[in-house]
Amino acid sequence: MNWIFLQVKNPITDVSSAGSYLPIAIQLIFAVLFIAAMMGLTHWLGPKRNTADKLENFASGIESHGDARQPMAIKYFLVAILFVLFDVEVIFFYPYAVNFRQLGWEGFFAVLMFVGFFLAGFFYIIKKGALNWED
Amino acid sequence: MNAIIFSAIFGVVMMFSGVFFSSKQLIRNLAIGLMAALLVLNAAELQGYGLFDINLNNMLHFTSFGLVFNCIAFAATFIYLLLSARDIEQVGVNLAEYFALIFFILCGVGIATSFNSLLMLFLAIEIISIPLYILTGSDKRNLKSNEASLKYFLMGAFSTGIMLMGIALIYGATGTFSLDAIATATKGFETLLTGGLLLLLIAMSFKVSAAPFHFWTPDVYDGAPTVFTSFMATIVKAAIFAAFIKLFEKAYLPSVASWKAALTFIIVATLFIGNITAVFQQSVKRMLAYSSIAQAGFMLFALFGYSDFGKEGILLYAAAYSAATIGIFAILLKMSDYTFDGYNGLAKREPVLAFVNTIFLLSLAGIPLTAGFFAKYYMLVAAVKSGASLWLVIFAVLCAAVSVYYYFRVIQAMYFKTATTEDVTTAPVTINFKVILIVLAAIIVLLGLFPHWLFTKVYF
Repeated sequence: MNWIFLQVKNPITDVSSAGSYLPIAIQLIFAVLFIAAMMGLTHWLGPKRNTADKLENFASGIESHGDARQPMAIKYFLVAILFVLFDVEVIFFYPYAVNFRQLGWEGFFAVLMFVGFFLAGFFYIIKKGALNWED
Repeated sequence: MNAIIFSAIFGVVMMFSGVFFSSKQLIRNLAIGLMAALLVLNAAELQGYGLFDINLNNMLHFTSFGLVFNCIAFAATFIYLLLSARDIEQVGVNLAEYFALIFFILCGVGIATSFNSLLMLFLAIEIISIPLYILTGSDKRNLKSNEASLKYFLMGAFSTGIMLMGIALIYGATGTFSLDAIATATKGFETLLTGGLLLLLIAMSFKVSAAPFHFWTPDVYDGAPTVFTSFMATIVKAAIFAAFIKLFEKAYLPSVASWKAALTFIIVATLFIGNITAVFQQSVKRMLAYSSIAQAGFMLFALFGYSDFGKEGILLYAAAYSAATIGIFAILLKMSDYTFDGYNGLAKREPVLAFVNTIFLLSLAGIPLTAGFFAKYYMLVAAVKSGASLWLVIFAVLCAAVSVYYYFRVIQAMYFKTATTEDVTTAPVTINFKVILIVLAAIIVLLGLFPHWLFTKVYF
């Protein structure tokens, strides 16, 4: 009778072994099967009365109009991609911050050079007018 | 080191020159001047005057082979700029940026010839590829250029993914990125290592457009603005071959027996597909794209085994192929019609152009007295010395014979056909343009007579 209550005859003494997770696995399988069965049943048994209102996209109760795929000004893209670019720069500072002491002055000058190149790029995009919102 | 640092700095200088100067003439001359400076600085390092002494942790390793290769690539770019800088001007408004991107690519070339770590190889390939995606799509109003750029980017990104996976597997097997350590890695993870090397082989074959990974080449070369096709098909391709041969010599050599079959298949497929498909092309530009695939097949022979012949051969091949192809593209740019018929009667209209074009085409076909002959000769000798079977060499010679057909079609059109319609024209050419082309042709003939001249700097 032990197996009904998921009790093993020789209880596993080592708590961290994979065997002790068996009940959880069974629970997971049961959950998936139960949800699948319930969804299948409702689709199969439930009545289907489609009206034009029901078939419309749900947009928090507000009537939807127009297409989501509208042409947008390229400036949004430009600003966003430039933001990503300079955001990525910040990521490189984390490993530097962690190794700040070990790298010493040499590392400091390397990072300074990195920032210098980036500032050159920043100067370039400003001069090129990439950030001018008005034409 | 000079080449890498200065090409990056010159790239930034070119970028800003577009901001500060409005004169196109000035920007063009600045680019040509900086290119000459880069060539001189690289040659100075070859003579032992390196300006930088940086602790690289053995990630880059500068050999005379790499430096000589840099010299060839930079000299080819210099001639390319002299011939085609005006045509770059026609592509679009961002003239300075095009030059800047070319300098950035040359920075990648510098790393590709000197890497000693797979990380650096990855970096080099990416630094070369990303500006190329932009240059391919630089003709923004042209739908074909856009298509080519997108196609190139997607395929390139995919092959980069394969390459990274390969590098990751190699790291998993050996625990290191260093080429020296991979060569002497302890055995035990053979499957991982073989899988990694195979993925790396696929990715590199893609980048040099070797069959069966060549499908992007014709469309991209055809769609890109012709000036940039010229750059892509010559200097960039040769540089990736330099990286490829270095990779093979170190990482693949210990297990060369297991690679022979795969490499033989790639060579045979590349030679066959490149040559046979080129025969059926109507457009000279597209024919040159397939011809570049076919030439890549020959260059692959250098990988067959580590021998001095292979390394010398790839130097000679890079020089011969780059010089000839740059010349042919420079002349093609002056044509109003890119089909074979566009060349009809060129010998009457522009006898000098027709004559130098003939020399370039003969060199590509591998006719003796031109550099192309010795380039192919060295490749085949390298293959025979490393123990390639005889039928492979015979097959390569047959393919070279096939290539004569489509190269000679152009010569035939130039000399033996007359222009039927009046609207087939050639853009006016300056006397300087002709002089540079003649110098280029003279270099090809001289290299065909004295190929050793190129190798004197490699050994000392």
